[in-house]
Amino acid sequence: GNVARKRRKKILAFASGYKGAHSVLFRVANQQVMKALRYSYIGRKQKKRIFRRLWISRINAAARLNGTSYSKLIHQFKIAKIDLNRKMLSQLVVLDAPTFKVLSARQK
Amino acid sequence: MSFPGMGVQRAWHLIDANNQTVGRLAVQISQLLKGKHKPTFKPNKDVGDYVVVINAEKVHFSGKKWKNKLYRWHTGYPGGLKQRTAQEQLNRKPDAILRSAVLGMLKRNRLRHQCMEKRLKLYVGPEHPHTSQLPSESTKVSPALPRSGPMERFGLESYTQLPHPHALNKKFSLKDLKGL
Repeated sequence: GNVARKRRKKILAFASGYKGAHSVLFRVANQQVMKALRYSYIGRKQKKRIFRRLWISRINAAARLNGTSYSKLIHQFKIAKIDLNRKMLSQLVVLDAPTFKVLSARQK
Repeated sequence: MSFPGMGVQRAWHLIDANNQTVGRLAVQISQLLKGKHKPTFKPNKDVGDYVVVINAEKVHFSGKKWKNKLYRWHTGYPGGLKQRTAQEQLNRKPDAILRSAVLGMLKRNRLRHQCMEKRLKLYVGPEHPHTSQLPSESTKVSPALPRSGPMERFGLESYTQLPHPHALNKKFSLKDLKGL
């Protein structure tokens, strides 16, 4: 029958594009696919941390251009109940800089 | 996140290292080289600026570091550990002190070796060949923390003229809430 063949075909399809035998031979490809799935599981959780870090760096840079710092800005936003999250703030900072300037000036 | 339509804009900064503390100045320079002062910062791309530093040999070390701080390196041969005090380094290669301080604060990767290192221009003395690249009205940027002697902080009259950046610019009070 083709029970085993179907299982192996699935894994080899996942491993398409891998170098050399890693995309062709099941026994080698299986190891790489297991690794890949493990890394993607971890990566999905790291992605959330990495992007938040990046947004904070960008907001910090923009805040310092406007005379405050990230920590003071977020503190004043919390007091004023401005609940924009860091993702939106980082986009605002670049694409709509005048609005951000007004927001940060208000908090001083 | 990309910002389509925004190419990298590189600025030129002129910094006078005269009488500035080495590490504190190196922090500012490394942030400029990396591009962390820009809202469009990308860690995986080279978005930093050019930094021209003049009077690189007139930097300051606090304490007894001119005598005690050692620069060490290994030549690769057995028994090849060599060392030099900061004072000797200043005599032989005056700009190496600031350069190693700045480059030590940058991560050792291709971005730093291929891009950032080349954009750091250190010059001994007040002359530099980049007058055409620097904006015509570039004021000499001095780093945020002015160097003060150990006793100056306690004497109120001779306290630094520039406001200390760590001091709160304005203490938050309930009056501020009224305007919101």
